Formats: sequence, C-alpha cells, structure tokens
Amino acid sequence: MERAEEETPRIGVFVCHCGINIGGVVNVPKVVEYAKTLPNVVYAEDNLYTCSSEGLSKIKEGIGKYNLNRVVVASCTPRTHEPLFRATCEETGVNKYLFEMANIREHCSWAHMHEPEKATEKAKDIIRIAVAKARLIQPQKEPEIDVTPSALVIGGGVAGMTAALSLAEQGFRVHIIEKEPELGGTLRHLHKLYPTMQDASDALNQIIKAVESNKNIEVSTSTTIKEVKGFIGNFEATVQKVNGEAANLRVGTIIVATGADIFEPIGMYGYKEYGNVITQLQLEQLLKDGQLKKWERVIMIQCVGSREEKGRTYCSRICCMTALKNAVLIKELLPDTDVYILFRDLQTYGGRYEDYHRMAQDRGIKFIKYLQEKPPTVVSAENGKLTVNVYHALLGEQVTISGDLVVLSTPLTQHENAKELSQFLKVPLGSDGFFFEAHVKLRPIDFATDGIFVCGTAHSPKDTAESVSQALGVASRAAIPMAVKRLRTEAITAMVNENLCSGCGTCVKLCPYGAIEKDAKGVARVTEVMCKGCGVCGASCPEKAISMRHFTDEQVTAQALAALGRLTA
Amino acid sequence: MTFEPRIVGFLCNWCSYAGADLAGVSRISYPPNIRIIRLMCSGRLDPVIILETLAGGADGVIVMGCHPGDCHYVEGNLQAERKIRMLKKLIARTGLEPERLRLEWVSASEGGRFAELVKDFTSQLKKLGQSPLAEEKPDTKILAGVLAAKATAADFRLRVLVGKEKGLIEDANVYGEKVPEEELDKTMEEAIDAEYLRNRIYLMTKDEPLSVKELSKRLDLDPKAVLRHIVVMRRRGLVAIDRVEGTTPFYTALKVE
Amino acid sequence: MESEKAVLVIGGGIAGIQASLDLAGRGLKVYLVESSPSIGGRMAQLDKTFPTMDCSMCILAPKMIECFRHPNITLLTYSEVQEVSGKAGNFSVKVLKKPRFIDETRCTGCGECAQHCPIEVYNEFDMKLGIRRAIYVPFPQAVPLKYTIDDEHCIKCRLCQKTCRAEAVDFNQQPQTISLSVQAIIVATGYELFDVQRLSEYGYGRYKNVLVSLEFERLLSASGPTGGHLLRISDGRIPRKIAFFQCVGSRSLKGGVSFCSSACCVYATKEAILVREHVPECEVYIFYNDLKVFGKGFQEFVTRAKDDWGIKYIRALPGEVIEDSKTGNLTLWYEDTIENLTKDMKVDLVVLCPALVPRVASKELASVIGLELDENGFFKSKDPLFAPIDTNVPGVFTCGYCQGPKDIPESVAQASGAAARAAEVIALGASREAH
Repeated sequence: MERAEEETPRIGVFVCHCGINIGGVVNVPKVVEYAKTLPNVVYAEDNLYTCSSEGLSKIKEGIGKYNLNRVVVASCTPRTHEPLFRATCEETGVNKYLFEMANIREHCSWAHMHEPEKATEKAKDIIRIAVAKARLIQPQKEPEIDVTPSALVIGGGVAGMTAALSLAEQGFRVHIIEKEPELGGTLRHLHKLYPTMQDASDALNQIIKAVESNKNIEVSTSTTIKEVKGFIGNFEATVQKVNGEAANLRVGTIIVATGADIFEPIGMYGYKEYGNVITQLQLEQLLKDGQLKKWERVIMIQCVGSREEKGRTYCSRICCMTALKNAVLIKELLPDTDVYILFRDLQTYGGRYEDYHRMAQDRGIKFIKYLQEKPPTVVSAENGKLTVNVYHALLGEQVTISGDLVVLSTPLTQHENAKELSQFLKVPLGSDGFFFEAHVKLRPIDFATDGIFVCGTAHSPKDTAESVSQALGVASRAAIPMAVKRLRTEAITAMVNENLCSGCGTCVKLCPYGAIEKDAKGVARVTEVMCKGCGVCGASCPEKAISMRHFTDEQVTAQALAALGRLTA
Repeated sequence: MTFEPRIVGFLCNWCSYAGADLAGVSRISYPPNIRIIRLMCSGRLDPVIILETLAGGADGVIVMGCHPGDCHYVEGNLQAERKIRMLKKLIARTGLEPERLRLEWVSASEGGRFAELVKDFTSQLKKLGQSPLAEEKPDTKILAGVLAAKATAADFRLRVLVGKEKGLIEDANVYGEKVPEEELDKTMEEAIDAEYLRNRIYLMTKDEPLSVKELSKRLDLDPKAVLRHIVVMRRRGLVAIDRVEGTTPFYTALKVE
Repeated sequence: MESEKAVLVIGGGIAGIQASLDLAGRGLKVYLVESSPSIGGRMAQLDKTFPTMDCSMCILAPKMIECFRHPNITLLTYSEVQEVSGKAGNFSVKVLKKPRFIDETRCTGCGECAQHCPIEVYNEFDMKLGIRRAIYVPFPQAVPLKYTIDDEHCIKCRLCQKTCRAEAVDFNQQPQTISLSVQAIIVATGYELFDVQRLSEYGYGRYKNVLVSLEFERLLSASGPTGGHLLRISDGRIPRKIAFFQCVGSRSLKGGVSFCSSACCVYATKEAILVREHVPECEVYIFYNDLKVFGKGFQEFVTRAKDDWGIKYIRALPGEVIEDSKTGNLTLWYEDTIENLTKDMKVDLVVLCPALVPRVASKELASVIGLELDENGFFKSKDPLFAPIDTNVPGVFTCGYCQGPKDIPESVAQASGAAARAAEVIALGASREAH
C-alpha cells in the first residue's frame, strides 16, 4: 500500500537527542522549531533515541497522523542506521527512497562540542540541506531479475572440476567446457604432487570419474567459447566444438578456470641449444615415464624467466617446491646422483614446505643462492656435459659445477586463450597477464562484473591445494545468486534521455561495469541491472543526456544552494 | 568581527564521508564552517554544480574522494580529478581565485586528516577573504565570468574532451605510442580559452547587441581574436548580426533550441 | 523435527565474516560466535594491507556492518563455544555468552558511560600501547557497537549506570548458555603472535624500543595510540633509523616453530613503506633470510619498496640486540651473509616480526569439537591437497589462518570455500529428507 508520491511533498522531520550526544551540544528544541519553518515541512518533533523501538514507532505514528510522504531523520551518520529507517518507512507505506538523513552527530555535535551555538546553527543548516533534497526526491524501484540456476565452468582442470562438483552437490546444473579432448588440465602432465607425493594421475582420475558420473554436470570437451552475451542471471554463451558444432547455453553464472601456460625459456641457459637443458615440466614427464638416465649430477636453476626487472616481474610461487619435489624424487630413484638447486629466494612458505626443505637438505640436496644481478651461466663442455658457473652469494665466490642435466624452473604465464576470453566476457587482465579480480584483498575470486568468477591458476600461479580452495570459493560465490533465484539490483542507477543523446560514446568507455552500450540506433542504453550508480557517466555526458536517479543535478544543486542559505522555490 | 568562510563540501559515501564520520567519532574538533553534501562517488560531481555553488556565494568548495586505487567504483575519483583540473583552469579565467576550489583524498580511517583539511581550508579562506560573489552585492564582472564558465562547463566540447581524456591516453598505450598527455593538455587549454571567451561573448550579446570593438574592449582581448570567435559562433548558430552602423556590425546572441 | 537450516561460524575475523556473508546471502541462517566484544579480528588492527596499501578498516567496516544488519546472521559476540555434539547435518551446540553487564537491546553505543568511567586500562586492541576504560568498546567501529564492562578492572562505582540515559547498564547480568541446532560448523579462529619474550636475545619486554610488528602497526595507525604519528613510546622522539627482524621464532628448530608464516616479509615491507611515508628521513632496514614474495603482486611490491622508497634489505638474521639504557637506542649484531662480514648497527627502534601461530584457545576448541590439530597447532585438513577445508569431523570445516599460514585474499577465498562445503552438507541433508 504505497501513498501517492506524485503529490506535493509532505515532509516530517525527526530530530534526535541521542541521549546527550546531540542534545548536550545542539539546542534540539530550537532546531525542531526551525525545521517547522522550512518549505514543505508539515511536521517536526524531537526524540531521545530515534533508532530505538520507541523512536521508530514515533516515525510510523507521524507518517500516519500527518499523512507524511517524505521523512527526514536528523541524527547520526546514515552509514549505520539509514537502512533501519528506510525499512521503517517501507513498513508504513512510504517508499524507502523518500527518506533522507541529516547527520547532526558525527558531523556536528561531536565535532563542535565546545561551540554549542555554532553547532546549533550548523545543525539547522544540515537539516535545511536534507529538506532541500527531500523536496525533490522521487520513489525508486529496485529492479528484480530472475537467475537461471545453472553455471558455465570454462576449463576442465582440477579447479574447474572442483568448482563444478561442489555446485552440483549444492543442487545446481553445471556445464563444463574444456578445449582439450580430455579433462584434467595441467595435472595430466604432472607426476607426483607435493608435499604429500601422491600420484597426480590417480588423484585426477578420481575427480574425473566423480565429474563424469554426476548427473548435474554436463561435460563438453574439444569445445571453446565463441560469444557471450547478457548479464548476471541471464548469460547466453555460444560454444563450439572442434568439428564446428555450435550450441547456445543459457546460464546464470560463469566461472573462469582456464589455467595457465608454462613459459618456455627459449634462448636462455642453452635451452633447446643443448640437448640436456630441459624445463621442470619436461623433467616431470621423464619421471612419469620412468625415463631417467644415470645422471651424475643434476643442476636446477630457479627463477628462469620470472622475477625479472621488466616483463615477467612476478614470482611464480610453485617453482621452488616443484624443484624440491623433483630433486627428492631423483634422489630416491638415483641415490648416487648429485642434485644442486640454484635459487634466489627459496619460496618454502606455509605450514609444511619449510619441513620439506629441511628433509630435502637431509637427503643431501645441495642449495646455492645466487643473486639477481649475477645469474648463472650454462655452457656446453666435452662429452656432452654442461658447465654451470655461478656466483655463490653466501660463499662470496664463483663456483663451477659440471653436470649432465640442467633443469630450468620457469614460471606459469597467461594462458594462450586468456586475452580472447577476457574480451568475450568483458573482464580485465592484470599487468602480469593473469585475470584481474574485483578487489585484490576482499573480492579475490569475483570479477567486477557481477556473476562472473575466477579460480585456479587463471587467477595467479598456485598449487593444487590453493586451486582447490579457490575453486570451492567460487562455488560459494556463484551459488549465492543462483540460490536466491531472484536478485534485487541497485535502484540508484543512470537514465539516458534518448532525445538528447548524440551517440558520442563517452559514457560507454567511462563505465567501469560495462553497463552502457550503444543500441542499433547508436543511442546509449543503460542495462540497469549492471549499473552501480557511481554517476560518472551522468557527470561526463557532453549532451547532459544522462541523469542519476536519487542524485539528480537538480537535487545536488538544491542541496548546495541550501547549504548557502538558499532554498529554491 | 572576522568573517566566517562558508565552505560547501562534496564527499563520497565510501571513503571521505566515513572519514568525516570518524573525525566526529574520535571527538576531533575542527571549525564549524563546512556543510557536507553526500554523493555516492566524487566522480558524480558535474563541474556545473561546482560553478553553481561558487556563483551562489560559497567562499570555498572542497571535493573529497577516495585515494587513487581505493575508489569503490574503480576509478570515479580519477574522473573527478580530471574534471577539477579542467575546472581550475576555467575558474582562473573568471577572476575568481582558483584556490577557492580544492580536491582532496580522504580515506575512511583518516578522521584526523579530514579535520586538518577543514581547519586548513578555513584559515586559508579567512586570509583570502570573503568570496566576491558572496556579499549582498556580488562583483558583477566576476559573476559574469563565473556564469560564462558555467555555460562553458555545460558545453559539449569541453565535456567530451574531459570525458574522453582517459580513453585517448590509454588507447595510445596499446599501440606503444608515447602518451600524448602534454598534447592533450595543450588542446584542453586552447579549448578552455576558446569556449570560455565564446560563452562570455554570448552572455554579453544576450544583454545587448555589441560590436567587435566593444567586445574587444570589455574582454580586454585583441579584436582579431574576438572576430575569430564571432565567426565560429555564427557558424554554430549562436550569434547573428542584429544591425549594421556604418561599416560596423553589431552582433546579438541567438536563442538556442 | 525439521530444524531450520543453520551453520555455526566460530571466529569473527575476516574469514568468519566472509563465510557468514556468503551463507546468509544465499538464504541460510548463520550464528557467528566471536570471543571478543566485537567482530573484525586482526584486520581491524591493521592500518593498511599489502600489496595494495588499502586502508584496512575502510574495506573491512562495510562487511562488518553487513554482518550486523543481515537478517540471516545472528552475532554472538563476547561468546565461546562450550559443547558440540551430534554429527554432520545435526549438530547440537552450547554457546556461553559471557556477561557484558550491558543490556544489548538498550545500549545505543553513544559512549557517555566511558567518558565518566574512572578506570583506565591498557587496551588489547592497541596491543597494550593505548588506553581504554573499564567500560569500553574495543575500537570506534566495533560491531556490534555495544559497550562492555571489563569485570576484571571494574570497581563497581556505578558512574556508568548513573550516566546512561538508555538504562542499559546491568550489573546483575549472568552468563547465558545458548543452545543451537546447526547442520554444519565452520572454524575460523585465526592467529596470535608467537611469544617473543621467550627469545631473550632480542630484549623484547626488557628494552623499551624493541616492539613486535602488531604493536608497531598500531603506532602507525591513524586510529592508534599516537594518532598515527610515528613516535617512540619510550620518549616520544621520532625515530630516524628502524630495523625489522624477519623470521623471529620462525623456521627454527630451537625455541620456535618450524614453519613459515607466509605474510611477514610483505607486511614488514608494508610497514617499512608506511614509515617512509610518515617520516621520509627515517632509514629502514629489513633483515631477512629468504624473501617470501610468492603471492600475487608481492615481488612488485618489494621491488617498489627498494627502488621507490629506498628501503634496504639485508640478508642476515641478527643475533643479538643490546640497549643503551641512557638513550633507549639499540645496537644489533648481524652476519651479512652476502658481504660475508659481521657488522653492528645502531638503530632507534627494532621491530620483531614473529611467527604467527594458531591461537592457544584453538586447542580447547579442538577438543570440544573433536578436531585433530597438526604438529604446529593448525586444524588438520582431511586431505591437504584435495580437501584442505574439510577436517577429520564430517560437517566441520576450517578456513583462514587457523587452517594454515596465509594472507587476507587467501583467507577470503577459502572462507567462501568453507561456505560452499557447508552448503553441500545442507543440500545433502535436504535431499535425504526429501527421500
């Protein structure tokens, strides 16, 4: 039962004492009297604690008795109690956006405790500003959208499959699309996983079996994305198989789990030049296939193509432990083989990896620290051996080691399809080439675009346990909109006046959420459910064709002039 | 009695408004001269509103947003910065002191900083004196300038330049070209100059038809420059010849649809 | 009897908060139990967070407020879990709500009471560097914003009661036992600092100018005991040379813990940058062993610290610290492993970065629930690789630092993961009921 909001505003002002927090400094009764003199204010009263149940009842009473259709509460900061007061208005039939707050505590009584007269005058001004806006605000609706309760997981590696399994167990339908002919991702190429040394293939096969037997999960291999349209709850993805078969998937959420590629150190340390310089991944394959030679000495070099001054500046997190693991495996199989690890800083972080490092040392694996500015060199020697020259940072002298195998630890890098996918989904890549999350600290697996999430090495280099944690994380994030089935989106959104829009496209580029597009006529169109109401488009539009609901130019200007003592007619 | 500056503050909901809250929560005292208006983002603030506020007699206007990198809406604060940079250049031409407009970054935990800024701005404005537009009888010359500035800030050309600034600079990066920020700056300065003068001319010729000579006198501008603007404005349909006296045409502003 | 679908979250730090918000956001009921008077955990004590240098409270506070306001979340602060029985899908929990001596339904958080309380106490929030009253909120943005009377220090003068206009003070309040019925439990109890006083060579506790990192963080914070002005607590002087010691009580087999706390190299870098921001003339040295830069953005952060901020990293772990008792200044001895020299350095302040260890209280909680702990006191994962969030007790999940050393983004992601697992348990229960 909503009151007719197109009528003349009838504003009620409720001024709070907040015990003596406001009342002890500001002359509340005087302020109430002043409020009554303001245009369109038909009622004003004071309360001891407006946020208390008594205070809220008085608001409801006032609305009913005086036929109020706008409410102003002058009390504390809106950042805490605005939702409470808005809810109170709604319960009494006043649209929650017909409510305005005047902050006369944090911004007034508490800051000017020793100047009660000035604080009182300021309080009057603050209320006048609130009333100026209250006279112009209109009821707003929070658009609701239905959410398709199914998810699209792009990438069938351990991260994608873990996310899919969790979502399936939670009762949602999941489509996994995987570009390779089989599921598994990077784990297919690994031998043992640290620090437990469990077999990668065994673990992988168990997960694949679970995925394939889950009736909520549909898997499509040799499949890639061709196009993605829509927004949260209503995505439409066109996927295509290698043989050209295309399909349209209607999903509510999308999860990016496309993994990463591994850097090939061409031109570095004799890679591809000398036959016995290989990468950790290639060593992994040799270990998996049982193709070890009776090497006398194996030398591993860390940070090859990572932690650089320019380019791949990042640390790839997993290479130190991978080297340690493979070194330990070599020692197990070839106890007489000498293994050296040349490192810059050993990334043996967390609860278990330091112990693993100690164990590796106990097994006789030798560690040599080198400096970034004095990297090792690898040259070919006689009878197929390699000579590695390195400045031993802790001994402070050049050391020469002769070995039959050099293993280069290289970083994970951006997946070859990441750029294309980022364009399809309109989600950003970071400067390191990996997908860029909504907020580095508090929204690490969300994208800024609602309804799309990221996990695993597509986000950044990480190991299996970390990928699994993130994958379970996105399973929760994606489940939220799908579980509530209907989403309420922001009411304070941008509106385009099509008659004024000249199609310059400025707003389209400025919107951080991709919520504005030019339609077939070249006119800007706001997808309201994607708009967050920041107002940048409205403030920038060269034709003044965009206005911001609940923060119109008229309203803000009225507040500014009210601050100076002027109330527009 | 020393004059008390009237400061209007536009604060963003997520950072600076919360910072102002914290100043209160921490009971930090500061001068009671500021009146705060809450926006969701500092990027919401249309330069026209700032000019309206200054024209309305505010002694100072302070805009506060989140520190770069912290904006709740990704980069709204950086957009605010671009607008205010343009605005300060514009205000400088009106005769109003550009120091009356400030842009500051205040985070939600910087209650102390908020209070310091208000203290600082208040004392700065006390020294500067009351705004020439604030008294009972505002300075007509400066007011005319600020109104022309308002019209300029509402005009297509400057708004599109400011709005596209980021895009122009960043797209250049994609092709590896040197960032032409200096070039863009120069273009902006020229555009501000030109459009401001055109709006001054428009408002003046709205009051009464004027000749190039008269306009040149009032604007303290070379007649050749004035004529160039008149030519552009005629093409844009903003002015037309009202009458000719001897060999001297008098121009009048045309109503724009 | 069909019980409402609910999850118990133990621990109100960022991990507990994230898990609670995820669960509540999808329509499930959450009981968030926190032993201190306010949620927020360690993140509330931080000034800025690495590597973005976000203001910690600014990004945390909206989430805390959301927890408070969310209709599906019941906050049980100043409370502890006493008993847990049952199994996945059907746990019975008894929570002890400690008496605050304040009626939470009446307290509006206005703070008049604290203005009148005559007792001053060194506050836990500022690591005992700052002061609060016996009636207090731990920090201004506390959620819930309700006062608490610290029974240990209160002298029962009742001034607070006399001043409170909302009549919220209740000295007769008793501990309350609340019985809950939940389908799943998430443990997110976080960490505390290793007690460095045990390592006498650094002089912590004896020398006034040897601090631990969290104390130093409070000194740097705008909301801290010095208002964010970098001063030595001992004499109020501004330090001109500060040394950070990494790995204190870490990665060591003698007298410490063997694991790496993962966050210290970067948070020391963060604090070092804050020092240079506050006092540009202050020299900062970070003494480290292996620089842990494995996280997203960490290496670039450290590079900026070196190149842009002039922070010096020395690969050495100082052996001993001696104090000049007259000035309070410190001399430290170290073996520079790169230059191969033994050196000494005189500094104004030493900041120890100690191991971050699971809270001692987790041991008790583990026995209450029947959870296994590993040798370092972290909650043991059912499978460290493929089920890191599951514990040995089905239906009980763990996330955040108490599961293993990690930073904020990893805690947040893992917390969502715990929410997903809990939701799976509930979905399983629902489908069982349906059949």
